[in-house]
Amino acid sequence: MTLVEEELYKIIDGIKFGIFSPNDIRKMSVAEVQMADTYDEDGIPITSGLMDGRFGTLEPRQRCKTCGNTAARCPGHFGHIELAEPVIHTGFSKLIHRLLKVTCRNCGRVLLTPVDIEEYKKKITVEREILGTPSDEHFKDIEKRTKKYAICPHCGTRQLSVSFSKPTTFQEELEEGGTNRLTPNMIRERLERISDDDLRVLGLDPEVARPEWTILQVLPVPPVYVRPSITLESGIRSEDDLTHKLVDIIRINQRLKENKEAGAPTLIIQDLSELLQYHITTYFDNEASGIPPARHRSGRALKTLTQRLKGKEGRFRSNLSGKRVDFSARTVISPDTNLDLNEVGVPLDVAKRLTVPEKVTQWNIEEMKKLVINGPPNYPGALYVVRPDDKRIRLEFVTERDKIAEALQPGFIIERHLKDGDTVIFNRQPSLHRMSIMAHVVKVLPYKTFRLHLCVCPPYNADFDGDEMNLHVPQSEESQTEARLLMKVQDQILSPRYGGPIIGALRDFISAAYILTNKSTKLTKQDVSRLLAAASYEGPIPAPVVEKPEPLWSGKQIFSLFIPKGFNYVLKSSVCQQCPQCDYENCKYDAYVVVKDGILERGVIDKNSIGAEKSESLYHRIVKDYGTEAGRKFLNATSRLENEFITMKGFTYSLDELDLPNKVRNKIDTIIDEADQNVHKLIDDYQKEILQRLPGQTPEESLEIYIMNELSKARDEAGNIADDSFGMENHGIIMTRTGARGSNLNIGQMTACLGQQSVRGRRITRGYKDRTLSHFKPKDLSREARGFVDSCYRDGLDPIEFFFHATGGREGLVDTAVRTQQSGYMQRRLINALEYLRVEHDETVRDSRGDIVEFRYGEDGIDPAKSDHGKAVNIRRLIERIKIVAAGGRSTSKDYIEDRLKEVEKELTPSLISDLRSQSAEAKLSRDAFDKLIPMVIENYKAALVEPREAVGVIAAQSIGEPGTQMTLRTFHYAGVKEMNVTLGLPRLIEIVDARRKPSTPIMKVYLDEEHRVGKEKATEVAREIVFTKVEDVASIYIDPLKTAIVVQIDEAMFGSQGVTQDELKTAMSFPNCKVNFEDNTVIVTPKESSDLKKLLEKVSSAPIKGVPGIRKVQVSLEDGEWLINTDGSNLSKVLKIPGIDPNRITTNDVHEIAETLGIEAARNSLIKEAMGVLEEQGLDVDVRHVMLVADIMTLTGEIFQVGRHGVSGKKASVLARAAFEITIPTLVDAAAKGTVDIFKGATESVIVGQNIPVGTGLIEIFMGHGSKTEEESKEINSNK
Amino acid sequence: MTEKKRIDLFEHELVPEHILLSKEEVEAVLEKYRIKPHQLPFIKASDPGSKAIKAQPGDVLKIVRKSKTAGEAIAYRYVIEG
Repeated sequence: MTLVEEELYKIIDGIKFGIFSPNDIRKMSVAEVQMADTYDEDGIPITSGLMDGRFGTLEPRQRCKTCGNTAARCPGHFGHIELAEPVIHTGFSKLIHRLLKVTCRNCGRVLLTPVDIEEYKKKITVEREILGTPSDEHFKDIEKRTKKYAICPHCGTRQLSVSFSKPTTFQEELEEGGTNRLTPNMIRERLERISDDDLRVLGLDPEVARPEWTILQVLPVPPVYVRPSITLESGIRSEDDLTHKLVDIIRINQRLKENKEAGAPTLIIQDLSELLQYHITTYFDNEASGIPPARHRSGRALKTLTQRLKGKEGRFRSNLSGKRVDFSARTVISPDTNLDLNEVGVPLDVAKRLTVPEKVTQWNIEEMKKLVINGPPNYPGALYVVRPDDKRIRLEFVTERDKIAEALQPGFIIERHLKDGDTVIFNRQPSLHRMSIMAHVVKVLPYKTFRLHLCVCPPYNADFDGDEMNLHVPQSEESQTEARLLMKVQDQILSPRYGGPIIGALRDFISAAYILTNKSTKLTKQDVSRLLAAASYEGPIPAPVVEKPEPLWSGKQIFSLFIPKGFNYVLKSSVCQQCPQCDYENCKYDAYVVVKDGILERGVIDKNSIGAEKSESLYHRIVKDYGTEAGRKFLNATSRLENEFITMKGFTYSLDELDLPNKVRNKIDTIIDEADQNVHKLIDDYQKEILQRLPGQTPEESLEIYIMNELSKARDEAGNIADDSFGMENHGIIMTRTGARGSNLNIGQMTACLGQQSVRGRRITRGYKDRTLSHFKPKDLSREARGFVDSCYRDGLDPIEFFFHATGGREGLVDTAVRTQQSGYMQRRLINALEYLRVEHDETVRDSRGDIVEFRYGEDGIDPAKSDHGKAVNIRRLIERIKIVAAGGRSTSKDYIEDRLKEVEKELTPSLISDLRSQSAEAKLSRDAFDKLIPMVIENYKAALVEPREAVGVIAAQSIGEPGTQMTLRTFHYAGVKEMNVTLGLPRLIEIVDARRKPSTPIMKVYLDEEHRVGKEKATEVAREIVFTKVEDVASIYIDPLKTAIVVQIDEAMFGSQGVTQDELKTAMSFPNCKVNFEDNTVIVTPKESSDLKKLLEKVSSAPIKGVPGIRKVQVSLEDGEWLINTDGSNLSKVLKIPGIDPNRITTNDVHEIAETLGIEAARNSLIKEAMGVLEEQGLDVDVRHVMLVADIMTLTGEIFQVGRHGVSGKKASVLARAAFEITIPTLVDAAAKGTVDIFKGATESVIVGQNIPVGTGLIEIFMGHGSKTEEESKEINSNK
Repeated sequence: MTEKKRIDLFEHELVPEHILLSKEEVEAVLEKYRIKPHQLPFIKASDPGSKAIKAQPGDVLKIVRKSKTAGEAIAYRYVIEG
């Protein structure tokens, strides 16, 4: 036994892609296939047939005729088919076309002058040196330039244009007209003539990819393992699709050969070779455009080579990027409040199937013997014994297990049952972020489900309505250790998405905590004992708050027992009503939480204190300040405490709690009645045409908006009244106020009124003609006819209401389905684009090439997971703590602070320095305290730095992708004013990462200069200059057939409102070849020659008068005390030139426009701003650092790159990674032609070849020895080496 | 005109300051990160930011960003053709 067991394993340095030459194929082949048959009647493979034994064998005990190995060890051997006529390889047809176009049809040189060729050669060598591979633009450039040469600059031959029609037909267009088909033979001859040197200029690697090799003369036949035949139960052999296709190819090839030998007419030969071409094309790609797919007898299209590789179920994504594993289990999950946070309950049956290899040592040999004796059926036992000579003994089939147990010696390996305390990996799909896969400690339990602590539901996004989860058992000690140290649940409490706890109390735990810590809760000694016993509390019981008649304890006291000593914290709880005047300690709702020295002095505990996904809570502070172990213990203890308490107390939301007093009911009814009257009044006004139109809206649209506002106001009011009528003793109210479950809206809908049902954000209008249901009169716009539900859930809905409710409900379901798809794809693209990014030891973030993406991760080098809700150091907290230790003293001088700050300037970030400056002055720290503070800040800062090799890219992608699932799909937000819609939510986020050319709703925010921002009139002046005004906007235009002219009737009112002057109109109204006559309010445009009046009409109507093209609508509004202009439509460069605007603050949501006019750095900032804006608007907490990283990679090349195949992912260094992402086949074909080398520096490609990924622990190697050795033994080992 | 534009561009909220680095400074940056210039992020010569300070392909720009996390952050970009 060696001290360091070095496993022999090989590392692949790289893969070079290329094209097989006909000779390569022949050399590699073990047999030529000449017969189109597979097996004879006895089921023996036919020699020289497609299943020839020399290609490998499928029978379990047979040996391969080439290498002599059995099926398991034989790698398989290729055969070949000699084709009677050359055939074009479909994958390369585009390349062939390109080569035919850029080279001379006579001499085969590139159609450029020798000087140009030299120049390109130089450029390419330079690029190859700098970038590794020359950019595609060069080759496109060459292609463009060769087009100019109609005559070859080398030999003077006139060139003919070559046309290509999919999939494999090439034609030369003859000068005298007509075309000449190019046969594969002719093409091959031409390609042969291109010199190696010229090929290099064209980007091909002639060493491995001579272009003539793309014309097949010999077809390789893959080994049988690639196309195994299967025997059905009935004994009928069924062949693989590829074999079927090969049979077709051989048949036609044979016929072609025979015909050629017999000297058949060329027409027949040509037909047959075309048929051969068809079969070979479909053999490679059965979805090639331009030809019908080859079909199976049953009519199903065959799955040939391309189909095998491509897509989600293809080889790349299904078998190479992800693999099936052993040592895993899957079953339904259920909750267990008695488990530890870190634990997972594993059913006994599962524990008896899954094994962990354990080495037998002198210390555990007795125990191991027992396991072996117990064997597979008795728990705890073992399934296998592995001897040092690698022989495995399967204990299942051994009768005398005690004998084997006797023979056990140190150095043996026992594969034993899973037992309590083992580390396993637990996972729930979809694995959207790293907390979807966590390490748990095994607890073997009876029954058949996996059990988990309730508080780990949020990270897994699990519930117990039938969810199943997967469990994996790491086998090596290395992997077990890694899982234990990095992946344990308690180490995942803080989410890297926002630097706060994702694990915490939820649902009933929160309700219980609230009731427990409520002022009125008093507990008897018996209660206290019961609660503390449940929480496994060990220690003294505090003095009771009430002594007589019997001792009583407050809930706050009990809860305090679990808060660490010395812990201080103040926060506002979730039940806080946000009163305009806060009473702090004297809050009547007891919402002001004060914890002093680990004692909960005031306030109720609810979601804001201990809830999951709540940052800066009491729980967050405990985890941050006392570590994850303390966090785990706190959560364990409190959740059991709360569980016991709520069990004791009982908690239910009963039907009579939904009852509203008659008075309230009546009030609600009046509100709805009033709203109804208002709606009818609006409809009346509309019919009388006295309804005031909203700017930019038709009267109908305006009416809808008015009605919807009125109704939603009524619903809100009704809901609020209902909500207010309940007190804090109502269980529903407890749940909503404390944040345990539900919202105000839910209570309102249950008790007061359901409100408007909507489809696509509008009232329901569809169904019958002009009405929703036949119960209504056509064009009835009243609330009940358009899907407003007066009833509440408690009272029940009438049939019509029920119908509308179902309509709205259906949309919700559809939305969810669409959203999961869209956000899933967005996440896949994000992960793919960022997977290889890691932090280096010099704090930079680099890609797989070593190019810098960020100079410092997140600009401050802080890991969001270790940050304090995004902040590097929580200085305020530190000051509070220091003040307790070093209280009092005179506050330091400003100068001293400045001096000390100067000293540490290099070690901290500018923002930390300025925070330190302001906060220490504010806190009036003494010199002593300040001196203590500085090193603490530095220490905290350093502790929060990212670890080198951290896969920050993947974390960023997960942090943006995961909340995508929670976003609403169709949200329109009203930017400033109600009438202007902006796309937000998931579609907008996708738009941003897509780097779409134009946003679906381009808008600008035009700030104004000092002069114009003060008043509405001034602002409107500027707005008039900006909005694009056409003639038709200020006039009605029609054709006067008598005068054969266009008459423009000016609308005075519009003229005024748009701020158009006569002069402006005059300058706008000039058209070539037309006479323009102005008569006070009409303009007549007469064409000088008779021309198409309709065309002219269009021209006149759309003639621009003033404003900026692209700006459709403007809205002047007051924001933060200044007037500004919101526009619909965007044109940054033009609007910048308008006088009166503030050129330093104007923005648009069109990132490309910003890149063009303000530069790439501004675009980066804008990307961050836009993406953060969307996330924040949705109430999703995502650290900027993640968004920054995405913006940085999108702007890396100086222009905006899409996250996806046309951008970041398409520019990845690795061929395999690109092939695995989206465009599989073209990527591989291109790599083959260029002779690209893949050196596995990224994640996907490393996974594909089965090597460690170059991020995180994948870059770390551990050398580990087993057992102790005497000095002599180690010497012996050394000398053996 | 160019002078006026220069001031305008960098005063915009979204545009951080771009500074053209001298040869020595470029050397220092490359040395610090042990990289070749093309391993830096790029900026096009036609980018408004590089045009404003008349940067030529081959130059390296220092960009002083206002940072939400660090207060101020420094980045570099290598000027490329286009």
